Amino acid sequence: MTVRTLVTLGAVSLGSALVSAPLWAQIGEQQPNPDKPFVEARGNVTPVRLPPGGSTPRMADGKPDFSGVWFSGPTGRANAWSVVPDQPRKEDPIPFKPEVRKKIDSMTRAERELGRAQVACRPLGVPGMWTDNPYPHQIVMKPTMFVHLIESNNNWRAVPLPKAHKPADEQEPLYMGDTATRWEGDTLVLETISFDTRPWIQGNGWFKTEQTKVIERLRRPTRNFLEYQYTVEDPNTLTRPWTSAWREFSLSVAELTLTENFCTNNENVEQFEKLAEQEREKQK
Amino acid sequence: MRVTTGIVLSVATAILFAAAPASAHHAFAAEFDAQNCADVVGVLTKVNYENPHAYLFLNVNGEEATFQLSSTSNLRRGGATVAAFNASMNKQVTVRGCASRNGEKNRYAASYIKLADGVVQRVGQDVEGVFGTKIWR
Repeated sequence: MTVRTLVTLGAVSLGSALVSAPLWAQIGEQQPNPDKPFVEARGNVTPVRLPPGGSTPRMADGKPDFSGVWFSGPTGRANAWSVVPDQPRKEDPIPFKPEVRKKIDSMTRAERELGRAQVACRPLGVPGMWTDNPYPHQIVMKPTMFVHLIESNNNWRAVPLPKAHKPADEQEPLYMGDTATRWEGDTLVLETISFDTRPWIQGNGWFKTEQTKVIERLRRPTRNFLEYQYTVEDPNTLTRPWTSAWREFSLSVAELTLTENFCTNNENVEQFEKLAEQEREKQK
Repeated sequence: MRVTTGIVLSVATAILFAAAPASAHHAFAAEFDAQNCADVVGVLTKVNYENPHAYLFLNVNGEEATFQLSSTSNLRRGGATVAAFNASMNKQVTVRGCASRNGEKNRYAASYIKLADGVVQRVGQDVEGVFGTKIWR
């Protein structure tokens, strides 16, 4: 296929389904393009699962040590360009209140993108720093402190171990909220309240409120693997608490630290705003 | 598919939807049209190797085309280094680009580039599914 000149794009008329299909109907996997055979390219990654790697490292106090550089998935490497699709997680449906589901479903696709912290270059917050984050993590840990560094926007949170919530009159809305920590056996539990509600819980438009509580659980069953799960409680949006599936992270096989990554001057915001305006015009 | 000068593409339907899963920076497929992609041949004139997205600029018969790539974090880890692009500077390359949904002229998301030395280099998400993965890759 040869393209001799630039393609002038105009009259890009999106199907009406784009603006009317509910969120849940828009989730799917891309089908292979029948006119375009698979492409072998440098940078594609064929995932190979790491072995367990031995027993759980432990700190001086005997608790698990989560320290290390971690990638999402099982390979110990960046998997953004994996040639094997992720399998859908088996999770319970989110028990949204009907009015919340209606509000989320009414959002256009561009509006959902505009609301995502990754697009707006906002801190990802909790649980987004684990779940809405395509880049690696670094954990630095000692018996009295849990430090979570993320490459995405070079953000971080540091939480004492153990820690109670601040008194109610000292609470303030924060991207990372106010986190209380405790151990349940070998599982670290981080319970967070008092959120700045701008970062969503998920990129699908699931928003936080002043009553959102996120309970995260972190464990390291073997040397090479870290597992993360979160529960959301919010009487403003949910009919009952919802708990995610366990997510798997693997210990970096080569990289010893994170690299610079700042979300500045994201031109996608302007692009999505144009698209959102077009979608609104079509809805009229 | 052969695209000639002045062609105006009207893409009305048959859009494959795919929401960004939790791990994606954002869904390219929401901004760029997986059904409106082409191999664009031109001379590589500039590389902005920056976050949150790098950009390539091609001179295509006297007009400038802009290609949004992945982040430098992904590019660097995937072998799409500054040096790799600089080695093709002012030389002919072919970039697989999918056009912006909002109709902006000459703006694309790139999934791969055939560099001047013939190496096919991944540079972005799998908007078309040509790498066998999800649309958001």
